[in-house]
Amino acid sequence: MEYILNIGVQVAIFIILASSYNLVIGYGGLASVAHPIFYAFGAYGASLLSIHFGVPAVLAVVAGGLIAALASVALALSSLRVSGDYLLIASLGFQLGFLQVIRNFDFTGGAGGLSTIPSTITGAYRTPAFLALTVSCAIATVWLISRIVQGPYGRAITAMRDEELAFTALGRNAMSIKVVVFAIGCGIAGIAGGLYAFYYQYVSPDQYEVLQSAAILTMVVLGGMGTTWGPVVGAILLIAVPQAITFLNLPPSVMAPVQGIIFTSLVLLFLFLRPSGLVGGSGSKPKVGSESATGATGAKT
Amino acid sequence: MSGPAPILKVDKLCKAFGGIVVADNVDVTIDRGEILGLIGPNGAGKTSLFNLVSGVLKPDSGAIYLDGALVTGDPLYRRARSGVARTWQNMMLFKTMSVMENLLIAPRDYPGEKIGRLLLMTGRVRAAEQAAKARALGILDRLELGRAADANVTDLPFGHQKLIGLARALMNDGSLLLLDEPMAGVEGAAYETMQRVVREEAASGRAVCVVEHNVSFIKDLCTRAVFMAQGRILETGSVDDLLKSKVLTDLYFGV
Amino acid sequence: MLIDLLLNNPVVLLQILWTGAVTSLSLVLLTVAFALTQKVTGLWNFAQAGFMGLAFYAMYFVLNNLDWPLPVAVAAGVIAASGAGLLTEIFGLDVLRARKSGNLTFFIFTLILSEFIIYWLALLFGTEPQTLYKSILSPVQIIGGVAVSNWELQAVAITAVMLTALWAYLNWSKQGQFIIAVSDNAKLAELYGISSKRAYRVVAVIAGMFICAGMFLIGSRGGLTPNSPMEFVLTATIATLLGGMGRVFAAAVAAVVLALIQSFSVLEIPARWQSLLLYVFLFVAIVLFPQGISFKRRRRIEKPSAPPAEPASQPAATADTAAKV
Repeated sequence: MEYILNIGVQVAIFIILASSYNLVIGYGGLASVAHPIFYAFGAYGASLLSIHFGVPAVLAVVAGGLIAALASVALALSSLRVSGDYLLIASLGFQLGFLQVIRNFDFTGGAGGLSTIPSTITGAYRTPAFLALTVSCAIATVWLISRIVQGPYGRAITAMRDEELAFTALGRNAMSIKVVVFAIGCGIAGIAGGLYAFYYQYVSPDQYEVLQSAAILTMVVLGGMGTTWGPVVGAILLIAVPQAITFLNLPPSVMAPVQGIIFTSLVLLFLFLRPSGLVGGSGSKPKVGSESATGATGAKT
Repeated sequence: MSGPAPILKVDKLCKAFGGIVVADNVDVTIDRGEILGLIGPNGAGKTSLFNLVSGVLKPDSGAIYLDGALVTGDPLYRRARSGVARTWQNMMLFKTMSVMENLLIAPRDYPGEKIGRLLLMTGRVRAAEQAAKARALGILDRLELGRAADANVTDLPFGHQKLIGLARALMNDGSLLLLDEPMAGVEGAAYETMQRVVREEAASGRAVCVVEHNVSFIKDLCTRAVFMAQGRILETGSVDDLLKSKVLTDLYFGV
Repeated sequence: MLIDLLLNNPVVLLQILWTGAVTSLSLVLLTVAFALTQKVTGLWNFAQAGFMGLAFYAMYFVLNNLDWPLPVAVAAGVIAASGAGLLTEIFGLDVLRARKSGNLTFFIFTLILSEFIIYWLALLFGTEPQTLYKSILSPVQIIGGVAVSNWELQAVAITAVMLTALWAYLNWSKQGQFIIAVSDNAKLAELYGISSKRAYRVVAVIAGMFICAGMFLIGSRGGLTPNSPMEFVLTATIATLLGGMGRVFAAAVAAVVLALIQSFSVLEIPARWQSLLLYVFLFVAIVLFPQGISFKRRRRIEKPSAPPAEPASQPAATADTAAKV
C-alpha cells in the first residue's frame, strides 16, 4: 500500500513538472532544456531555508518557487534578447553550470547531497497526507495553466508563436510575455522541487541531470505538447513504465542507461510517428512547438 | 508649413545593410486625412521605409516623428502603441487562429496581456474583450466579411486574407496606417471593398501610406505620391505628374 | 602570485602556451565540425555529441577488443561518425525539413538523439573513463627549453593537414563552392540547380572526419566517458558563438583562445571550479557577443551579381522582411 501511495506522490510531482514544462516549451514555444535545474532551485532553496533558518515548510516551498522564478527571469533576459535560438544553448549551459556549483559548494552538501531536511508531517498518515497535498498541487497547476492558456492571454501566446513580428507590431510586448510564461513555468517547477525535498527529506545533484530533462521532455512529447492533458498522461505513463523495470533488479549501472534509452527512444519515435502526442489530435492543425509554429524561418536561422 | 503637425514626419532617414542602401536621406510627411502613394521599382526601399517607420528596423541616422513626438528610438511594440498600424506584404496573419481571434488580438489596449490583470481583474478584462468583439464585428461587416468571423484565416480565399490583414490593422486603430501592397493578388469585389475602406479611413482623419505596384489603384486613391529608387526619393508630386516624367517611367517600367 | 612568477620565467610561460594551444587542437577539430554544420545547415547539431561518442568507442573497440591496427580503428571511427551523421541527415533532419518543422523540433531531435546514443554507449562500455591506448605516455623532446611530446607533434600535423584540406576543398573544389552557396542562401542555390540536400550530406561526412580526428587526439591522450562529448559540444557551441556564426575558421581560433584561457586559469582558480569556467564563458558569449566578436563589420559586397543576402547582423525575423524591399 505504502508503495502505491509513494508512486502516487511521485506521479503528482511529475505532473506538476511536466505541465509546467509544457507551459514553457509547448505553449510558450520557449526551447529550454533546463527545467530540472529550476526544480533543483526549488528543492535546494526550500531545504536550505528550513535547515539553516528554520523557515516553516510551507513558506520554504513558496520561497523555493520564487527563487526558481527569479533565476529563470535572469536566464530568459540574458538569452532571449537576440533570438530564441540562444535560449536552448544558454539553458543547457545554465543547467550544467549550476549543477557544478551545487556539486562544489559545501553548504549545498556537495555531490553527496543534503540529507538533514527536517520532517514536517510525521506518523502513520505521513504518506497519505503528502499524497493529498501533492495531488492538490498537481490539480491546481493543471487548472492554473489551462486558465492561462485560454482566453486573452492564451490568444496572445498563440499569436506570438504564429507570427512574432506581426504580433509585436500590433503593440504587444512579446518579450514580456515570454519572460512571464517562462517565470511561471519555472516557478511552478521550483514548487515541485520544494514538495519533493520535504517528502523525501533528501536531495542530491544527480536528480537534476540531463537524464531528468530527457524524462520530463518525454512526458510532454509523448502526452502531447501544447495540450492540457498531454503532460498528465505522459507523467503517469512514464512513472509507471520504469516501475516495471525496477522489478527486474538490474544493477544501477545498467538501470540508468536503460531508463535513458527508453525515454529517448520514446521521444524519437513520437517525434517522427506521432508528433502531436497521445492526447493531441493526429493530422489536425499543427500543434504548438512541435511543428512549424515556432519558427517562421524553419530550419534556417 | 501651417496648420497642425503632420501625423508622420520622416527627417533625413538613412539605413544601409552592408553595401545595400535602403534609405538615403529620406524626407516624408503625411498629413491627417491624406493618402500618400509610394511607388518605385523592386528594391527601391519602399518596404524598408515601412519597416523603419513602424520600428521593425532601426535607422542608422535621421528622425521619425509621430503626431509631433520623436519616436526614432522606440522599440517596435511601443511604436504601435504610439499609433502606427500596418499591414504586411505577405500578410503575416496568425495562421492557427480564426478570423475573429486575429482581430481580437489587435487592439492597442489589451488588458488580457498582463497576467496579473487576467487573474485578478477579470471584470475589466471581460469588458475589454466584449468591446473588442463588437468592434471587430463592425469592421468585418464594413469589409463584407461578417460571415467569415469563425473561419480559420488560412481557409479564406487569398483576397479575403488580404482584407483580414487590413481589418487587423484597423482594429489596431493607429493614427497612421501603412499598407504594404494591399492590392497584390486581389481582384473583383475585394478590390472595390479595399478601395472604399481605405478612402473611408482617410476621411475619418487617419493618415494613410500605400505601397502599391498597381498604378491605377494609386491614381484613384492618392492625391500625392512619392517615387523611390535605390533608397532615395527621386520625386514627389501628383500621380499624373510622376507618370509623365520620362526618367521615372523608364526606371519603373523600363527593365 | 603565480602569474608574476611566470612572467619572470619565459620558458615556463612558453611551455604553458605551447601545451595549452596544442591541447586545444582536438577541440579545434570538433569545433570546425560543429561550426561548419551550423554554417551550412543552420542547425546547432547537438547530435554531434553522440557521433563523437560513436567515433571514440568504435576506435576503442577496434584497438582494445579486436586488437586490430590503428588504420582500421581510424576507418571504423570515420565510418561510425560520418555514417551516423549521414543517417541522421537522411532519416531524421530531411524528414523534419520536409515537414517544415520548427526550430524547437530540430533542437529536441538532435539533443535527444545524442542522449540516446550516449545512453547506449554507457550501457555497452560502462561509465568508467577509457583511453584508446593502454599507455597514454608519449616520448618527449626538449626544443628550446620547451618539452614537446610526439603526441603534440602529431596533433599539430593532423590539425594542419585537415584544416588546409578543408580550406582548399571549400575554396577550390566545385562541390565546396556549392556548399558555400547553399550556406549563403539554400533557396537561391536550389534555383541554380545546386542540391541543398546533397550539400548537407557532404557536410555530414566531412564533419564525421573532423569528429573522428578530434576524438582520436583526445582519446590517445586522456580518459573519456560517454558523457564527455556533451562538454565538447558545449565548448564548440561557445567557440562558434564567439567566432561569429558562419565563420568556421574564426570559430576554430576562438576554440584555441578558450583553451588557452582555461589552461592559464589553472594557476588562479582551483581545479574543481575549472569546468564551471566553460559555462561562464557561455554566458559571457551570449550576453556580450551574441553576434560573435567582429573585427570588420561593414564590408562592401563586391560582386554586383551577388544576391542581396539577408543582412547578417539582423535577427532572423527582421531580416526576413528587410530582404523583401
